[in-house]
Amino acid sequence: MDDGRIPGLRAFAARVAGVFGSRKRDSDFDEEVQAHLQLLADRFAAQGMSREDAAAAARRQFGNTTMLQEDRRELRTLTSVEDLGRDVRYALRSLGRSRAFTAVAIATLGLGIGASTAIFSVIDNVLLEPFPYKDPGRMVFLRIRDTARGQEGERQGYTSNEFLEFAEQNHVFEGVIAASDDVVLYKQGEGVEQLYGADVTPGTFEFFGMPALYGRVTQPADYQPGAPPVFVMRHKTWMERFNGDPSVLNKTFVLNGRARTLIGIMPPRFGWYEADVLIPESPVRGVSTGFAGLPARWFLLGRLKPGVSKAQAAADATIIANHLARINPQDYPAHFQVLVKRLGDTVVGRFESTLYTILAAVGLLLLIGCGNVANLMLARATSREKEFALRAVLGAGRARLVRLLLVESLVLAISGAALGVLVAWGGLKLIVAAMPQNLIPAESVIELNTPVMVFTLVVAVLTAVIFGLAPALQAARRDLNDPLRDSGKGVINGFRTGRMRDTVVVMEVAVSLTLLIGAGLLMRSFVALREVHLGLQADHVFETQLPLPADRYKTAAHVRGFFQPLLARVKAIPGVVDATESSALPPYGGMDSKMEISGKSHEEEWHTQLQNVSEGYFRVLRIPFKMGRAFREAEINDARKVAVVNETFVSAFLCGEDPIGRRIKLAGLETLADPVSEPWFEIVGVVADVTNQGLERPVEPEVWVPYTVTGSGEQILLVRTQQTPMALMNEVHQAVWATDAGVALAFPGALEDRISQSLYAGPRFGFLLMTIFGCLGLILVTVGVYSVLAYATARKTHEIGIRMALGAERADVFRLVIRAGLRLVTTGVAIGLIVSLLLGRAIEAELWRGVKPYDPATLAGTTVLLLGTAALACWIPAKRAARVDPMVALRYE
Amino acid sequence: MTDAKKSEVLQGTLDLMILKTLHALGPQHGFGIARRIEQVSRDVLQLNEGTVYTSLLRLLQQRWIAAEWGTSENNRRAKFYSITARGEKQLAVETENWQRISGVVGRVLRLEEES
Repeated sequence: MDDGRIPGLRAFAARVAGVFGSRKRDSDFDEEVQAHLQLLADRFAAQGMSREDAAAAARRQFGNTTMLQEDRRELRTLTSVEDLGRDVRYALRSLGRSRAFTAVAIATLGLGIGASTAIFSVIDNVLLEPFPYKDPGRMVFLRIRDTARGQEGERQGYTSNEFLEFAEQNHVFEGVIAASDDVVLYKQGEGVEQLYGADVTPGTFEFFGMPALYGRVTQPADYQPGAPPVFVMRHKTWMERFNGDPSVLNKTFVLNGRARTLIGIMPPRFGWYEADVLIPESPVRGVSTGFAGLPARWFLLGRLKPGVSKAQAAADATIIANHLARINPQDYPAHFQVLVKRLGDTVVGRFESTLYTILAAVGLLLLIGCGNVANLMLARATSREKEFALRAVLGAGRARLVRLLLVESLVLAISGAALGVLVAWGGLKLIVAAMPQNLIPAESVIELNTPVMVFTLVVAVLTAVIFGLAPALQAARRDLNDPLRDSGKGVINGFRTGRMRDTVVVMEVAVSLTLLIGAGLLMRSFVALREVHLGLQADHVFETQLPLPADRYKTAAHVRGFFQPLLARVKAIPGVVDATESSALPPYGGMDSKMEISGKSHEEEWHTQLQNVSEGYFRVLRIPFKMGRAFREAEINDARKVAVVNETFVSAFLCGEDPIGRRIKLAGLETLADPVSEPWFEIVGVVADVTNQGLERPVEPEVWVPYTVTGSGEQILLVRTQQTPMALMNEVHQAVWATDAGVALAFPGALEDRISQSLYAGPRFGFLLMTIFGCLGLILVTVGVYSVLAYATARKTHEIGIRMALGAERADVFRLVIRAGLRLVTTGVAIGLIVSLLLGRAIEAELWRGVKPYDPATLAGTTVLLLGTAALACWIPAKRAARVDPMVALRYE
Repeated sequence: MTDAKKSEVLQGTLDLMILKTLHALGPQHGFGIARRIEQVSRDVLQLNEGTVYTSLLRLLQQRWIAAEWGTSENNRRAKFYSITARGEKQLAVETENWQRISGVVGRVLRLEEES
């Protein structure tokens, strides 16, 4: 028969039910027992016993009713749950009695749990679940990598032909869509405004599985030739440009000279391509010109069929790419590889490891917090030894005592978690404000949500176990008699708890040093990053893109007709030092072009960055010349085929030869919408290297040519100013509209600000948070070292009294305590250094090149900082110990 | 507590005996069950009558028996227990089990004596 002690599912359910309404059942049972006893007694009385004897005999025969009641309770309900309620009430009472302890513990835990929760929210919303789309995990895009050039030789933009080929010939995707840049100008009031648009292929909205917030998304009919032109707007743009006015829906806007009806506003989290407006467009084979006369480039996104791996997709796409390479060999490197990347990889990239580094840091911070609370609990447990011994003597099992203490920990941890949620809520606002917006997906909204709350709860429970288990086991392990017998303040007692507390402090110091070293390294790295010379002077430069209406600006002459008078007008503005045209924004170079040098033969293909500029470019950005000269105004006006190259170009292709006068062929110029025939250029000057691949990558060879050779390419205006660049915004705007009222300023701003945003924001975010957490860790460790020493000193007052009575000087006592403290700290530091060196590899990826994970200056600096702070923490208890009056200390017993 | 001449009731056997009693006599209160076991065992088994109630609770939890308030012969409120269909099935299974096991145990003991 079923053993009652191992209840089956049914019995368990009955027990769970039994937790409720237990009083009623107990009284029912009493009645039942009383009836039984009465019947037995009646029976004995009938056999001739006296009434008292009969009642006694009945009780004898029935057995011990109290034990029965206990048995029943154990059987009937989940005793542990009932006891748990009692334990929680007890824990609350006992914690309520020691307010200071409780406050410190909850604050420490709240800080640790709050920080972890905040960082986890960021990770959850940015890395784990950033996209609100249907099955975002299966959305991938393709990159073609030139195996000879590595990361530099990757492309992810495809021609219409390539897109159609991939979309139609693959066997691995459920659907393939694409988007392509489209700078959109529309009339607004007197002037023209610019929007960042995207042409989207049929099926785009179905692909994302997101309906419009207002109105509708595009339908297949909208892509039919002759269908009324329509477009869809992003929520953010609608709010910023139109204040969320619902009446703009179904209105007609003139976009790039064409009337289009706004049919829908997307929900806030729709951020595909980060486009302000989405315009339906069917790629057509053979049509290859996109905006600004540049070759059309479609960015592909495919949804993998269920069960298809990235490797399978890559294999399938490679077959198609090989086919395409045979048809258009000029578009493909000799040896290439097709990479399949997930949608999330587009933006997050390197920021991902920054976030995980910070999460690890926060975990360490929480660990230090746990250490502190564990130490407080240990100290508290020591002073509660007698209480526990008494409980044990009165019959509390060891498991029961451990549970009682664990419940206390849990109550602390849950309160800490509640506080932590508040901390996280406030902290998130700060983090989001400091967050580099360009490094996270446009779709992600950073907020506390259910997964985050579950995470917090799990962390709280784990925390309770980590900081509660050691003190609990310690308390339960002790011999019952000892604490009851001795007075608790002897010379040798408490040794075991002492060692445990010491271990915790050593661990804390080690973890804290690891954290500080991490923060220090990131700080060093950030400073090193800031010191990287861009090769140009970015301060006091105003920049704006000037997308010219494609219908009126087709040829080089058109473009020159706009820029010549504009540059003259801008230069005439008071406060303007110089102005120039450019086709690229530093610290990035222009387009990639194949290149040949007359008289040089070579096996592999030569590539160079190619940028169109006017003669003022090198003056505006203060780029020094190493050889030769700058463009002359006449050369720009006459569109002469002259070129300036950078030093990397010379060392890469013309090593040891005189570059001036050499002729180079820039094949990339032949592929433009306004092509340059016979693109042979003569080198007239060599400039110092300027960063042209961002800060992370080395400078690539670059060539500058007069902007007047072609009407294609992006147009950018750079202005060097005397005062703050943005102060001239209005004057520049007027000058642009005076030249052509149909041209809008796109992304106007200060060059320095944008560089700082795009290059420094990510590392700054990482190092800022690491420093904050490092400092918090340092504070916690200081508190930890102090409390352990203070506690140990207080307990050793008697011993110190004896020492002093036996002739120890105050200085000896002072040294004794300081030495005891520093021994712990130095042990911790040693361990911390070893751990940091071992973990060095983990953070290496985060560091700017040149900064090593074992950077001696950082290691030394943080070690000194930690030792100094710890010494301060030892100082006060040591002073106090030295002040002990031996007579008082001895009499105290 | 122990009486050398009487056997302690094996855990689980009491459950079986109660099921059988309810099966044979129909609804009974705790006192009645105790009397029946006393009568049948002819004082061989030592029984703290209170344990009957622990056993009853166990059986209730498995839903092998059901309980209902009624009036006892001396006109007091009493809880009457009756076997359920599920309990009947369990009784059949357990009875067979018991007989098989006791048969085996008996044989083993006899073998011991013979050798």
